[in-house]
Amino acid sequence: MANILVCDDDKEIVDAIEIYLMQEGYHVLKAYDGEQAIKILKENNVHLLIIDIMMPKLDGIHATLKIREYSSIPIIILSAKSEDSDKILGLNIGADDYVTKPFNPLELVARVKSNLRRYTTLGNLNLENNAIFSAGGLCINDDTKEVTVDGENVKLTPIEYNILLLLVKNQGRVFSIDQIYESIWNEEAIGADNTVAVHIRHIREKIEINPKDPRYLKVIWGVGYKIEKQ
Amino acid sequence: MKKKIPGKKLQGFLHILQHILIVSAAIAILFVVTGSSVMIKGVDGNYSYSMDADEKGKVYEDSFLFNHIFGRGVADVARMVAVRSQMETDGRFAGDKEIDVAMFYYRFEGVPDKYVTAKYRLEDLIKWAQYGFEYEEQWMTGEQVDHFLNRMTTYTQINYDSGNLQGKIVTPFNSDIQESTDVYSVSANGLENGETFYRDDTSCKILANRYQTIDGKNIEDYTGTWDDYYKLCEYVENTAAALNDNYQDYSTYNDFYKLKNSNLRYYIIKTIGNRQEVYTNLEAFGLSENEVAQEFNRYGKFLYFSPADMQYTTNTLVNEETVRHIFNSYEYAYPETIKVWIGVDTSYPANDVYIQGLNGYTSYVPYYWQLIGFAATALSAYLILLVCLTFVEGRSLDEEGNPVIRLQKIDFIPTEISVLGTIALIGGIIIALTYIYDSMSFEYYYTTWFKVAAGVVVLVCELLFTEFYYSMVRRLKADNLWPESLTYKGIGKGKKIVWNLYDNGTVIVKTWVPYLLFLAVNYVLFLFEIKGIIIAFCIDMAFGVLIYLNTKNRQRIVDAIEKIKDGELKVKVDETGLHGDNLVLAQAVNSIGEGIRTAVETSMKDERLKADLITNVSHDIKTPLTSIINYVDLIKRENIENEKVKGYVEVLDAKSQRLKQLTDDLVEASKISSGNISLEWERINLVELVNQTIGEFSEKFEQKRLTPILNTPGNMMYIEADSRRIWRVVENLLNNIFKYALEGTRIYMDIAERTGEYGEKYVELAVKNISAQPLNIDADELTERFIRGDVARSTEGSGLGLSIAKNLTEAQKGIFEIQLDGDLFKVILTFPLL
Repeated sequence: MANILVCDDDKEIVDAIEIYLMQEGYHVLKAYDGEQAIKILKENNVHLLIIDIMMPKLDGIHATLKIREYSSIPIIILSAKSEDSDKILGLNIGADDYVTKPFNPLELVARVKSNLRRYTTLGNLNLENNAIFSAGGLCINDDTKEVTVDGENVKLTPIEYNILLLLVKNQGRVFSIDQIYESIWNEEAIGADNTVAVHIRHIREKIEINPKDPRYLKVIWGVGYKIEKQ
Repeated sequence: MKKKIPGKKLQGFLHILQHILIVSAAIAILFVVTGSSVMIKGVDGNYSYSMDADEKGKVYEDSFLFNHIFGRGVADVARMVAVRSQMETDGRFAGDKEIDVAMFYYRFEGVPDKYVTAKYRLEDLIKWAQYGFEYEEQWMTGEQVDHFLNRMTTYTQINYDSGNLQGKIVTPFNSDIQESTDVYSVSANGLENGETFYRDDTSCKILANRYQTIDGKNIEDYTGTWDDYYKLCEYVENTAAALNDNYQDYSTYNDFYKLKNSNLRYYIIKTIGNRQEVYTNLEAFGLSENEVAQEFNRYGKFLYFSPADMQYTTNTLVNEETVRHIFNSYEYAYPETIKVWIGVDTSYPANDVYIQGLNGYTSYVPYYWQLIGFAATALSAYLILLVCLTFVEGRSLDEEGNPVIRLQKIDFIPTEISVLGTIALIGGIIIALTYIYDSMSFEYYYTTWFKVAAGVVVLVCELLFTEFYYSMVRRLKADNLWPESLTYKGIGKGKKIVWNLYDNGTVIVKTWVPYLLFLAVNYVLFLFEIKGIIIAFCIDMAFGVLIYLNTKNRQRIVDAIEKIKDGELKVKVDETGLHGDNLVLAQAVNSIGEGIRTAVETSMKDERLKADLITNVSHDIKTPLTSIINYVDLIKRENIENEKVKGYVEVLDAKSQRLKQLTDDLVEASKISSGNISLEWERINLVELVNQTIGEFSEKFEQKRLTPILNTPGNMMYIEADSRRIWRVVENLLNNIFKYALEGTRIYMDIAERTGEYGEKYVELAVKNISAQPLNIDADELTERFIRGDVARSTEGSGLGLSIAKNLTEAQKGIFEIQLDGDLFKVILTFPLL
């Protein structure tokens, strides 16, 4: 199984994460500051790194920057800093994911899995078939009507499937509720309705790790919905 | 430390160069002006001849200058020969020549039909004139008179026709001229001989007979009446005086035009009858006409004039007309038969007028353009230097090496005094010099000291001018011209005194004194009728302007107060130019504004510090909280059989989750209320937004069996807002409903368009629900932080939701209003419609 390096100056947090990851069968290495993490990274074959920002000696941001000089392993930042600016900074300097404290252990594990899958298997996915549409880790095969997220199968109702297909086919474009309604139900939208909104919410719950912080199906409040172009 | 200013030495040198340039230019110009004329020491005084610079190429002998001198020489010769013929016999002075006084007296117009006369020796007359004529006042009885005067007057008449006076010469001077005269006597008063007659007693002037006639007689011996006596006296006196003058001229002219003194040569042959008289300054005397002509041809320049055979030859520029005119003015001395040779020996053996002319000519004409060129060059160099030095004047560096304008002591003399002083000094010098120049004889212009003096004067004037000029330049550069003037200082002092009186006075002084003064001035001026009324009108206008300015300043203060009132706390009233009450007001407004600004700034800063503190604290809370949540979760995973423990863990789980929610909300609420958020404005469809939100909450609402009912007038209601923040507002509202609404009730959401007081359009979103708990609380309090509908606080929630919603709404220019009516909880959001 994969080796995961967990780096946080709070020993208890590192231990708790170790427990969760070990339950999933991962081998966990532990570090308590940035320098230690870099040292361990050099000495071992590490597949994924979970790193805190605020740490003694070398903080997570600088450690990430150094690691990115020679390694492309997935890095998940785990920090109490929850401002948008903190997240943007973290992702811009080379992190693959950003989880804020306090975190949901299950979400963290899911993100670890997702990142590992993408790192190990999805990189060489064959997309020659015209019926296959994908956006990042999200993949729709219109022939088999199958939807996978990071390789995992997801079960959707026909309406949900059609909505998702519409959005994936038109990545980056924002669809209002009325537009989605008209193209899926082939009827004119009369008056306000929240049917589409409810379906969207259901889709999000199925394909997103954290539906409140969606990676694929984004809500543009007061305007509509879209799949982020990846 | 005094820094050495680069170029200072050069600047000083340039200044000196400037002075030298202007002086040399002035002297060069002076040379051009004085050099254009040459002073010649003539026989009867000094003459100034001007030279024509255009004659540059000509030799001296062809110049106008030479010909002018020659022309004057011709005139001199004509006069000299005329005089010589009076004084000489055979080329030598003849003192015993007989002079007929009446004939001399009438030498120009010719003698009358008959006249009384007497003959004196030339010598005697000259001496008499030199000694002077003395008259004696006497009272004479008739008998004495009769004894004094002759009883008869002897009259003389020339018989012109009987003689052979060729050429109509009327000369009375040459005793050799044979004349035909009749002499006859007339008895005084026509008395018969032998009759005894006594003349009247009379007072009379008697001329003292210093000399007697050639007959050894006195004047009274020729005259029988007083009339004739005085006439003869006049003849004698006049003739003597004229002859004396001529005698003076005779010596000077003779000496001046002596062969060794002059380069002028003349030879005049006068033929009267069959006699020839020769006048010349040549040594050779009795030459034939051919010989004379030959002799004169040797001289460089000459003329030959013979009026009798109408001959005139010359190689000079003097024309016949001039020569004829000259000789005609001495008609009495020259018969038509004269032959005149006048020439100039251009080898110039003698140092005379021609040499003077030559020197002047050669020292000026060839250098004329050089001098002009030099003067022009010097002047232009001077002007260029002036411009350059004007540019750098006063510029200097201070101790740090920054450019500054350095003023000198002279620059602090008040501007007016400086200007007037300079004008007075230079003007005075120029006026004085003009006066001196006008009253000075022109001969001095040619002297060296005159040029030196002129140079010195120019230098002095120029020094004065440059000092003044550069001082003005420095003042201008330092913007000191006006502030250093007496006018400015005077105005400033006067203003200060008036304002001091005004500023320190009481209300009565400030209002009634000026008003009464104003009235009094008007009244007094009206007494002076129309002129006074005009002045009064001007004063009234000025007063009106003053009041206008005062009110304008007041208005400035009022405007500032209005702005501060409207929240522009940085506004300040400019206190310059304010006086009296306005100044006090302005200062007060500024200090109040400043106070408010400081207070607001302090409170903003405090709020921001609080937000920072909360953010930091929340970070510190989150780390242990993470462990708590994680380990609670780990405990939950252990298959705990004990139901009690399971319950405890549930409580731990729920409370740790709430703690997490609380810290997040706290950070957000403090950030919003401290204004620490940036908004991204977008066009938002409020209907879409509400629909999306309801969709998000569909499960939660179903959980509590709440039914949302949305009423909208259409699908489009656009507002301008930050999409994530507006979503947060609606989310918080619905979350609030989810938490506190009575289970199984309906939630009404009404979107409506409203028109405001001034016709502006609004969108109103009203959310209504029935509270599960009785709302025994104030509507306003609900939006305060940490206030919740249930006092017991048993339900989940931070108590910040509505506060955040309200602050966010207001940050997006909306209105957030809560209305409570029994258990009906109603929130109304209002945004301007796009």
